[in-house]
Amino acid sequence: MNKKPLYSVMGALMVLALLLAACGTAETPTEAPAEPTTTAQEPVQEEPTAVPPPEEPTEEGPCLIIGALHGGPINDAGYNQAMHESVMAIADNIDCVEIIEAENVPEEAGATTTIENMISEGAGMIIATAFNHQYPALELAGKYPDVIFEHAGGWEMSGNFANFFGEPPEAWYLMGVAAGNMTETDKLGFVAAFPLGWTLTFANAFHLGALSVNPDVETTVSYTFNWGDSAKEADATNALINQGADVITMHVDSPATVISTAETRGAYSVGFQSLHAQEFAPEYWISGTGYTLGDTLTWLTSTVLDGTWEPIFLRCGLWDGCMAMAPFGPRVPQEVQDEVMDVSAVLEAGDLVVFAGPIYDQDGNVVVAEGEVLTPDLMSSVDWLVQGMVGSSQ
Amino acid sequence: MTALAILGVLSSALFSGASLLYATLGETINQRAGIVNLGLEGVLLISGATAVAVTSLTGNPYFGILAAVLAGGLTNIIMAFLVVTRKGNQLASGLALMFFGFGVSALIGRAFVGLRIDGLPRFALPGLANLPPRYSSLFQFDMLIYLAIPAAVFVWWLLFRTRWGLGVRAVGENADTAFAAGRNPNLVKYQALFAGGLLAGLGAAHLTIAYVLNWSEFMTGGRGFIAIALVIFSKWNPIRAIAGALLFSGAVAFQLLLQASGVEISPFLLDTLPYLLTILVLMLWGGSRKYAAPASLGRVYMGTE
Amino acid sequence: MSTSAESGRRSSVIIQMLSGTVGRYLSMLVIALLLFGIIILISGRNPITSYRELFGSTLGSWRGFSEVLVAMTPMVLTALAVALPARIGLINVGGEGQLYMGACAATWGALTFSAAPAWLLLPLMIVLGMLGGALWALIPGLLRAMGLVNETITTLLLNAVAPLLVAYFVFGFWHSPMDTNRTPNFVEAARLPTLADTRIDLGLLIGIFLLAAFWLFMRYTRWGLEMRAIGGNPEAAQRNGVPVKLYIVIVLCAGGAIAGLAGMAQVSGYYGVLLTGFSRGAGFLGFLISWLSFGNPVSILLTSFLVAVILTGGSMLQLTTALPYAVINILLAMALFVVLSGINIFPGRRTT
Repeated sequence: MNKKPLYSVMGALMVLALLLAACGTAETPTEAPAEPTTTAQEPVQEEPTAVPPPEEPTEEGPCLIIGALHGGPINDAGYNQAMHESVMAIADNIDCVEIIEAENVPEEAGATTTIENMISEGAGMIIATAFNHQYPALELAGKYPDVIFEHAGGWEMSGNFANFFGEPPEAWYLMGVAAGNMTETDKLGFVAAFPLGWTLTFANAFHLGALSVNPDVETTVSYTFNWGDSAKEADATNALINQGADVITMHVDSPATVISTAETRGAYSVGFQSLHAQEFAPEYWISGTGYTLGDTLTWLTSTVLDGTWEPIFLRCGLWDGCMAMAPFGPRVPQEVQDEVMDVSAVLEAGDLVVFAGPIYDQDGNVVVAEGEVLTPDLMSSVDWLVQGMVGSSQ
Repeated sequence: MTALAILGVLSSALFSGASLLYATLGETINQRAGIVNLGLEGVLLISGATAVAVTSLTGNPYFGILAAVLAGGLTNIIMAFLVVTRKGNQLASGLALMFFGFGVSALIGRAFVGLRIDGLPRFALPGLANLPPRYSSLFQFDMLIYLAIPAAVFVWWLLFRTRWGLGVRAVGENADTAFAAGRNPNLVKYQALFAGGLLAGLGAAHLTIAYVLNWSEFMTGGRGFIAIALVIFSKWNPIRAIAGALLFSGAVAFQLLLQASGVEISPFLLDTLPYLLTILVLMLWGGSRKYAAPASLGRVYMGTE
Repeated sequence: MSTSAESGRRSSVIIQMLSGTVGRYLSMLVIALLLFGIIILISGRNPITSYRELFGSTLGSWRGFSEVLVAMTPMVLTALAVALPARIGLINVGGEGQLYMGACAATWGALTFSAAPAWLLLPLMIVLGMLGGALWALIPGLLRAMGLVNETITTLLLNAVAPLLVAYFVFGFWHSPMDTNRTPNFVEAARLPTLADTRIDLGLLIGIFLLAAFWLFMRYTRWGLEMRAIGGNPEAAQRNGVPVKLYIVIVLCAGGAIAGLAGMAQVSGYYGVLLTGFSRGAGFLGFLISWLSFGNPVSILLTSFLVAVILTGGSMLQLTTALPYAVINILLAMALFVVLSGINIFPGRRTT
């Protein structure tokens, strides 16, 4: 059999595949960054311990190399993009800083290779943004005492390892207020990745906010068991809508799939993680919140640069500029917008607490007693859903 | 459990299962020709990424579908080259193709992560559109979903009612006999793999640009292997594959429905059912001639091919 | 004999060797590197510097080299899990599933007996890991021995079931609100010891030991002889009194046990926790490696090493070229394609 034509076909196919691949990587999507509403304020601080300043910077080189790792793609219009943009803000604000970034970094021990590679490339500060990067980063912090480690969304602390994050619950309550007003079927849908304490807290806050304006509302929680399984997210969103939900929100890495699916089905959506979420729902968007930690990370980096860095358990919220609320969508009436802003003012002033008792769980048990309040350190271990919610809390 | 709720599960199953059905149909043709493509996952990924890339670049989902279909066919040609021309081991070649798909799809798709795809237009069939909104909204499908079941019938007709299909099945039973009967087994296998790839590409296109509406790495989530299981479950018959695809895809919606009714079944256990049922089916009907695998496929599984 | 004839014979032997095993590896590598280099080039990066990064980071530093050995560990074991049953003609594509079930069983041991001392806990976990993997191969083995279903299909299907079962447990009784898709961390006593300050765990040593044992077993024991007989001609072996069906079940379970051990090493040595979806194709890579090596233990070691270099180097490539990590799979696939299609750089000689 004459092999020549076959080889030329193979060659052509290979070239075609390579060309398409190259075109793919050559394209860079242009997206207009959303305008966050931020007010600069001092973040909350806790007990400090001293840490020596980084190595003396060389004449030509950058003053600090930061290694940032993400669990997913940095252009996911969600959590990873929000973190990516926050990290990039450091470079925008401080000229001499150089940033090495890695995306889709695997979890747990898989991240160790990446972090060590970054350190071998000269990183003096590591920012690990994925939830499951905590332990590998912590372990390496022990191995490399001169490198500063900042992790997002966890709780561990050590001499050169600290934690930072936003404070979503109040923002979720506000979103609930908006959703409770906008729903016509009184059914809300919440697509969640894992039955994590924080996820349940967010869903609970959302439901409580909706309850405060609409006592008949019911929120159904559906789990995908993955931070970023887009097909499962589409499955869950469709299933929720098929069961009657007309407002959908989520706690997964990227809101893109959930919101796109809701939009094509004509359901309202509330975004989370990144303000870019709004791009996916031009019509049925209600509102959303996103992390805007650029200024916070810049401040942290500046402390590393001038040697004053101390491990702080850093949490800051909507009114500190660490999180931002997206603009309202075209279908949201002015009264609803006003109501949300009013509640926001009340929350900011501290006159209203989201998790103030009495709060009952799905079985009717009291989980937060009358006169008591659920404190932030307990929020991460919540294992119940508020009464009136459908779904498993396990 | 109201009728509406059950219809909701059916709707979800159709929505999610269409892409699985196309992929299964493609693999059915392959396996009927005696080739098991373990790299189907890779084929789906490459086609899916291509669909998103072309749709984003041209703004036209139909070009995206076309490109994905072609990409699927071409990727399967690689399999054909390895397995038919170079007589490589099918299982190993398939797995290699799977890894190839992981890499190429990531490369193609990278620039398009997080971009919004407008998707295919959806509409309800004329009669159904007049139902009250809660019902009619359940059955607003895009054209690929409507074409899925007809496609299964078409593939059945292709395999069982045309000369070409007869040739495919003959080669799948015994390539040497087919050769003696005047057919060119290698050519037939190439054609079968190409056709199978086209269908797989169609499935991937539906998944990415009509269902999920964006691209992310590894987004097919094992659908390639589910399709292979489904081919076996439906005993290499495209019509039976329809029921199987619906069964395999309704799990999420079904689980949610059960949950709303207060019954807690682990979604993971539900997900294992398709595979366990397939093994059961094989155990019970494995010996039957009517439901037997194409013979040369059997030889692949025996390692004597 | 004249010296020129001798040297002629010697050089032809060298050429034979080169175009045989070594030639196979060389051609595999060279052509694959060339093809992947083209991809890097078209993507706008420099292939020379990229390859320098890839090989420099893995072979150029002790840390990099140790990481390669870490990546190699599960693959050595899963390759053996395929090679052993292959000797009697069984196709075990189920390495992934057996690995997961071994990990699952070992995790149960680690979490339930977390108070036990290491010298008790670790051997227990090893046994549990092997049991888990063996059990997962039992059904396929039985079904094949009874002539009902081929093990190729059953092991393939069970591959998909295993991670689902693991998820069921991780999100079921091992779940806590503080965890996402993981169990609680393993206690120190449940962690396989590592070498110095690298991450190379005992699993590698066990793997090498098992490979050696496998070679000795097949060559020098009666059972090895009987297995080779079955592999050559099952009917003749049966007629000669070799209990083929028993061998089918036992050997497939043994393969499963070895893959289960790989799973145990992953969760105990590498991760220190059980994650859903933790295996990144180790079972399938094992199948490919065993197949590429024709089940030869030394080849398995070398091929696993090569694959591990490629995969580990890929992480560095991601940082320096900004190509997604998954792209390294293309290099791997190219190398596999080259071998599968039998292309080599010595024209006229087809490597089998």
